[in-house]
Amino acid sequence: MGEAYDHGMARWGRADAGDLGREALAYADTLYNLARYLTRSPTDAQDLVQETYARALTAAHQYTPGTNLKAWLFRILRNTFLSQYRHERHNPTVGGLDTVAPTSPGAEPAQWLRGDLELDRLRKVVGEEIERALMSLGEEARTVILLDLEGLTEAEIALVAGCPVGTVKSRLSRARAALRVLLKDYAR
Amino acid sequence: MTCEDARDRLLDAQRARLAPETRAALQTHLQTCAACAHEEAAEALLSEVLESRLPQHAAPVALKRRLAAEWAGAPAAAPSPSRRWGRYLIPAAAVAATVLLIVVPLTYQPAAERASARMVTEAVNDHLRILSSRHPLDIESGGIHQVKPWFEGRLDFAPVVRFDGDQDFPLRGGAVGYYLDRKAAVFVFNRRLHTISLFVFRADGLPWPTRGLRRVGGVDAHVTTSRGFNSVLWRDGELGYALVSDVDPVELARLAERLAPTS
Repeated sequence: MGEAYDHGMARWGRADAGDLGREALAYADTLYNLARYLTRSPTDAQDLVQETYARALTAAHQYTPGTNLKAWLFRILRNTFLSQYRHERHNPTVGGLDTVAPTSPGAEPAQWLRGDLELDRLRKVVGEEIERALMSLGEEARTVILLDLEGLTEAEIALVAGCPVGTVKSRLSRARAALRVLLKDYAR
Repeated sequence: MTCEDARDRLLDAQRARLAPETRAALQTHLQTCAACAHEEAAEALLSEVLESRLPQHAAPVALKRRLAAEWAGAPAAAPSPSRRWGRYLIPAAAVAATVLLIVVPLTYQPAAERASARMVTEAVNDHLRILSSRHPLDIESGGIHQVKPWFEGRLDFAPVVRFDGDQDFPLRGGAVGYYLDRKAAVFVFNRRLHTISLFVFRADGLPWPTRGLRRVGGVDAHVTTSRGFNSVLWRDGELGYALVSDVDPVELARLAERLAPTS
């Protein structure tokens, strides 16, 4: 009997283990959605989610009851993606976030950002255009935008991404700026 | 507060994460800085667009069944499970085995209801855009027979509208708009000083509400109130309809009766 087991079971009784399984499966849609945007493939997304649940079950003793289970599952899914899928299959079409120029608050906005022009274009974009724009971002940008959409706090996103909260804040800001730049080309 | 400070806090303000004094300082700055006010509007719109229009991919039912089955079957797959696995998996597997029968259907229903609620939210948001737009109409009305032909070549479907407008509900005009992930024909009616928006769009692939339906004309319509706006949503063949206004719900239902098919 391993120490990890004893430690885990000290926190997880039999009923708790059942609760964990039930709660974890309730996030299947949410996990699959992130997996689709990460892998870009329905088949890969299914494999990724299945592997995520397998790893979650194995690592159940590491989960602390009362913390955000969804964020914990997201972390496993993303780590699994990075270790198994990213390098083998689909690399981002656009470089990482560091290649995206952030908006400079003090700088003059480009002409299209002024007035109502950008707002008018944003109002007219449709789902497939937003999806296309999001998919053209790097993995870090896609992840941070999707996790923010899922309602995770910056601290929870930091847990998933394995980086400081300050990094999450800047990544999210850059990712949204990049998305706005991409969307300006749509809805014309 | 500087512009840099303000823009750093726009998303926090959207997420209601600011302390009251910081929020007040931000509001003061936004009232005096047009560039930051634009940034705030653009960031808010981006959030709204992402939340309401980015396609959400649901896990295939086959995957959910497989997950539940594999969890339930995990102990059998390991003939000599360690005490660790046995003690953990047995209760987990017992529950997982019931997930497919009990929990998954329960989680589906709220998800379906949330998806349906998004249809109402989108209709209200679209109506608000018309109310706030300086030029909501692409074609001013000279009657339905002038408005409907105007849509030719602008949409990938032909909007069917059964009511031409009358003295009670005059037709003001139309425009091309968007409803969720697709184009929509927008017809704007009036009722006294109230604006009524009718959105006509392709109905396929949308999570049409299955609860709270009421008979309107010859169709079952979803009648509800959201954020003070009354809405009526129905499907007629390949086309979907969303009627939204702050007009009295009884009066909105009267207009819906005229627009919906009779049988």
